[in-house]
Amino acid sequence: MAEKCPACGSCGMPMEKPEDYALGDVTRAYCRHCTDARGELLPYEQVLETNARFYVESQGVTPAAATAMARAMLADMPAWRGRH
Amino acid sequence: MQAATRREQKVVTRDRLVNAGMALFARKGIVETTTADVARSIRMSHGVVFLHFPRRDDLVIAVIDEFGRRLAAEFRHAFEQDLGLRAVLQAHLRVLAEFEPFYARLVTEAPMLPPKVRSTLMMLHAAVSARMFTALERERKAGRARRFERPLLFNTWIGLVHHYLVNRDVFATGESVIAEQGETLVNHFMTLVKP
Repeated sequence: MAEKCPACGSCGMPMEKPEDYALGDVTRAYCRHCTDARGELLPYEQVLETNARFYVESQGVTPAAATAMARAMLADMPAWRGRH
Repeated sequence: MQAATRREQKVVTRDRLVNAGMALFARKGIVETTTADVARSIRMSHGVVFLHFPRRDDLVIAVIDEFGRRLAAEFRHAFEQDLGLRAVLQAHLRVLAEFEPFYARLVTEAPMLPPKVRSTLMMLHAAVSARMFTALERERKAGRARRFERPLLFNTWIGLVHHYLVNRDVFATGESVIAEQGETLVNHFMTLVKP
């Protein structure tokens, strides 16, 4: 098995380097994309939009499909579990 | 000390389950495989499987995550060495070859799989797309590649690779279509991106 690195508790992105973490702090639970300038977790809708955009920009899927996939990805993440 | 041993044991059990799941999903198909089947295949109690992976899809995602970790390690190496697009494609194929029977099932069954599993696979694709585009842009700035829209760059590559994987029985004489055709696909793709 490959060596495991921590994953963001909001979006699941693997955090391999200090700069992947919020504020470059490896003790943080979330990645730099899911947090603001103070290291605080962004609102759900904003994280959803960022993740959906990633699908669109990388593969050209429709915005509606991208949002549905992003929602499915976030549903089980510790930060958003039980949200609905 | 005992706690450490228990933790280690838990990791070993989890790894066994991921490996067994990967093998059975490849052999029987993902949709057709249950966690009880995985338990039986390695003579483990279903309860233990349930403790680690309450749903079949949790185990499928664990295998995809393992694939993603291997891929990240290969890509990190390629970028640290400042290698080009060819090296990124070769790294992608190297990891695909390691997971080939499972991965071929995964892409064949993807439209029938639950949204979370499909989204996880597509997120992995997004990471490959990002790496490919970064590598292409470097090559383009050095005058060795032409401009591509990012989604089409990736979709052209993955469309080609998936076609060979899904139909691997007719494109390979042996077990691995990636081993037999991979270098041809990389060479072909590199001619497409030439300026």
